[in-house]
Amino acid sequence: MQEAAKRSDDLADAAQAPARPAVVNDDAVRSALARHMSRISGGRTEIISFGRKSSGFSWITYAFVARSADGDRKLILRVGPPNGLFAPYTVLPQVYALQALAGTGVPVPALVSFEQDGAEIGFPFFICQHVEGDVPAPWAASGLDPQHKRAIARLFVEILASLHRIDAGTTPFASLQQGEERAELRAIGGWRASLARPTARYYPLLDWGGRWLHDNCPQPPRRTIVHGDYRIGNFIEHEGRITAILDWELTHLGDPHEDLAWALMPTFNARSRKLYGVLERAEVIDLYQGASGIAVSDRSLAFYEAYALYQAAAIQMCAVRAFEVDRFNDMRLAVMASQMPSIVRAFERALEAAA
Amino acid sequence: MSASFERLIDGIIDALQSHVVPNSGDDFVRGQVFSAIYALNGLKLAADWKAGPLLEQVSLQDDTFAAIRRLANGMAHPEIPATPRIHGDNSDAAAIEALRDDGDRRLGQLLLWASGEGARAADRVAANEIERLLRRAICDQLKIELATTPKSMLQQIAGGDGGAAQG
Repeated sequence: MQEAAKRSDDLADAAQAPARPAVVNDDAVRSALARHMSRISGGRTEIISFGRKSSGFSWITYAFVARSADGDRKLILRVGPPNGLFAPYTVLPQVYALQALAGTGVPVPALVSFEQDGAEIGFPFFICQHVEGDVPAPWAASGLDPQHKRAIARLFVEILASLHRIDAGTTPFASLQQGEERAELRAIGGWRASLARPTARYYPLLDWGGRWLHDNCPQPPRRTIVHGDYRIGNFIEHEGRITAILDWELTHLGDPHEDLAWALMPTFNARSRKLYGVLERAEVIDLYQGASGIAVSDRSLAFYEAYALYQAAAIQMCAVRAFEVDRFNDMRLAVMASQMPSIVRAFERALEAAA
Repeated sequence: MSASFERLIDGIIDALQSHVVPNSGDDFVRGQVFSAIYALNGLKLAADWKAGPLLEQVSLQDDTFAAIRRLANGMAHPEIPATPRIHGDNSDAAAIEALRDDGDRRLGQLLLWASGEGARAADRVAANEIERLLRRAICDQLKIELATTPKSMLQQIAGGDGGAAQG
């Protein structure tokens, strides 16, 4: 049963947001979390088994158990750090996703609570239910039974089709549409602006390619909710089922081809052009078209395969900036800079194919 | 490589001090880590990126500028720097890197110009040829960087597992 999300902040007051700590301190987060959980549950709540669950590049994920008079609940806390890859953070896209998709054909963890202004914990955060299962690593997938992988890959495509079938206009996502500009162009513009920041190294092919993407962006067959990072590794699998789609921080309205192209990137499929290393692209497209009712355009898919590489390059540069300028001390961010030459070359080839 | 040399060394030292030292109770391991930190501090004072690959990139850019000047003869185009831009021996990696970065910006301006309406209206054939030349040359420049990029360790980096790093 979906638990009603409790919203404890007022977005209209965002301009009066409190001063935030410069770094995320796990002990401070745990103490604040206990106060927050006690307040929203209306009774004293103890936080046990608290710990960082993963070491992602962006949102920090904690697993914990909330112990109260009603019993124990296994929950997940996600916190947007002030110096993370895409800081400053807004919690809203993820909250909209978890709210809008509850009870649909797209499995998501149930939302428990969230705060955009981070008044209680010090940073934007949300809390959701813990979902049992495993997160497959794209590069470790080769050790799994191919038949099992095929079944999961097909479910993965069918869930994407379910996501793209949803009428976004009837969900909170509708509020993400700002002004008259096409959502797809706004997304491209956002990455172009990110790459144009004066502290980022200038790559001529990205500058030129960004303009090409803007000038040649196809009209979407339908404007849908786009996950934004739909790939192997961003879901939980349990006993042969996908029980939750994760990491909605880049979700937005746009062209459904964007998710399909991103999911098919060899980077996320153990360097294979097959989805999860097992499902041929033609089969993916057939399955997706049948389940979504959306006709896949070769031209649009080629465009979004180029866009995927452009976005990947922009994300890498965000990592370089976080390390160099914002002094986010994580050596993995520094190492990401070394991937730029290969990504930019692949982008140039993809543009050639899309033109 | 985009990261500045000093910042990279600082990051390595911080990773060792903040994450490795506190999680090691073995005196020998801690001694190894502190020795590595000491050596890194020495590198920060005495070393920098290798100048060779940067010089190769600047030289390739110069060749490209010269070729474009010939192809764009008579067309109104963004400024093309006089070449060669480096005279005599220059081993100051920071200065060469700045020249490389400036060259990248100029190549970008030329690429945007050559693929734009103005250049195509002036001479479509020449503009197309310049665009092709620039894209090929910029990709060749990226190849030079790839030659100094170690083999990917994405799996180990993301998962924190795996055996000893291979070169």
